[in-house]
Amino acid sequence: MKFCSRCVLPETFPGIYFDEKGVCNYCNNTPVPDEAKKLEYLKKFESLVEQVRGKHEYDVVMAYSGGKDSTYTMYMLTQKYGLRLLALTFDNGFISRQARENIIRMTDVMGATSILFRPSFTLLKSVFRYSAVHDIYSPKTLDRASAICTTCIGLVKSQVLKMALKMHIPLSAYGWSPGQAPISSAIMQTNPRLQRLTLSSVRDPLIGGFRENNLARYFLSDDDLAIEKERWPVNIHPLAFTDYDEDAIVRSIESLGWVKPKDTDPNSTNCLLNALANYLHRKRFGFHPYAWEIAGIVRSDSMSRHDGIEKTTQDEDMAMVRFAAEKLGIDV
Amino acid sequence: MDTASDKTGVSSLPVQQEIINFIRENFIAGRSDVSFGVEDSLIETKIMDSTGVLELVTFLEERFSITIADEELVPENLDSVKNLVNFLRSKGIE
Repeated sequence: MKFCSRCVLPETFPGIYFDEKGVCNYCNNTPVPDEAKKLEYLKKFESLVEQVRGKHEYDVVMAYSGGKDSTYTMYMLTQKYGLRLLALTFDNGFISRQARENIIRMTDVMGATSILFRPSFTLLKSVFRYSAVHDIYSPKTLDRASAICTTCIGLVKSQVLKMALKMHIPLSAYGWSPGQAPISSAIMQTNPRLQRLTLSSVRDPLIGGFRENNLARYFLSDDDLAIEKERWPVNIHPLAFTDYDEDAIVRSIESLGWVKPKDTDPNSTNCLLNALANYLHRKRFGFHPYAWEIAGIVRSDSMSRHDGIEKTTQDEDMAMVRFAAEKLGIDV
Repeated sequence: MDTASDKTGVSSLPVQQEIINFIRENFIAGRSDVSFGVEDSLIETKIMDSTGVLELVTFLEERFSITIADEELVPENLDSVKNLVNFLRSKGIE
């Protein structure tokens, strides 16, 4: 298998081609933020924090999975910037036992309020099965993540926004790595008009073709979308403008009591469904669903290319794959 | 014809063609079965998703040296090639 000589994208990645040095078109076309750009966003963030801090019951609601990136983000927001944080954990029925302990321990340590949100597993099982088996997402969406992860994060994002709107919380935060979203979106005012349009990416394919009529209530409703734009939170993902180093992040949160789960796959520190999601995606498309994200992290020099290739080529642990498949009733 | 100026001031591809090239390169990515017209909604046709919107904004800011304000992130500016061209024109990009 041939890989880009700079990042980790393989020759099987859709639309890829290489120049004479073996560098892929995605590397050649994707700007990597420099230190000046990161500093610009850091200042913008700090100014925003000064504007919103202490004015509401909570300053920020964040999507908290209990994994390393969201734990570190929570650490930054609460300990470095003194924000009152509501940690919303979407329990997809596959949270590792260790991750669950981390969620309780870390929210205690950070002085955050923790809410665990868990739709019935009967519903979740049907939704995950449906999105794994049917072609409901655009090809480009599936270049960046597996269908199962897309479904999960779609539900998470909706819940975070609903909570921010309901409780008048001015910031909504995510622990997205620098490879998951560009720095230009690291501080962005959400707005109902764009939100309504982008719902067609995840919500509409799911609820449109899904027989369970109670799924829609977990996504933004027309009533939510009618809320005046001044109430909509500013979306932030601070890891885009900080120095992102996986090892340093893990060391930092381990010193606070976070423990790395041993029962998850190499690309997750919280979810027991990830191995199956990755397995199905690789089998179908011939490339790893984390390749795009990890390519971005490698491009920004936050991970070595060697480590990135290792993470995106390792075979899944079939015991983990079978565990999740059996729970969802999927044949593998 | 609309033309974009690169950082050296030399006229390069027309704005509309640059946008189409970006969409083809980044969102369609070599898939031969996808086509779109300049007035087609990029989101409704599933060419661009919510992360794609963010990537498009990054491209516009970097390529045309503009800043896009939060209130400008609306479908009327971003959801078709025609809207994008008109939006850039309103920013003085001809």
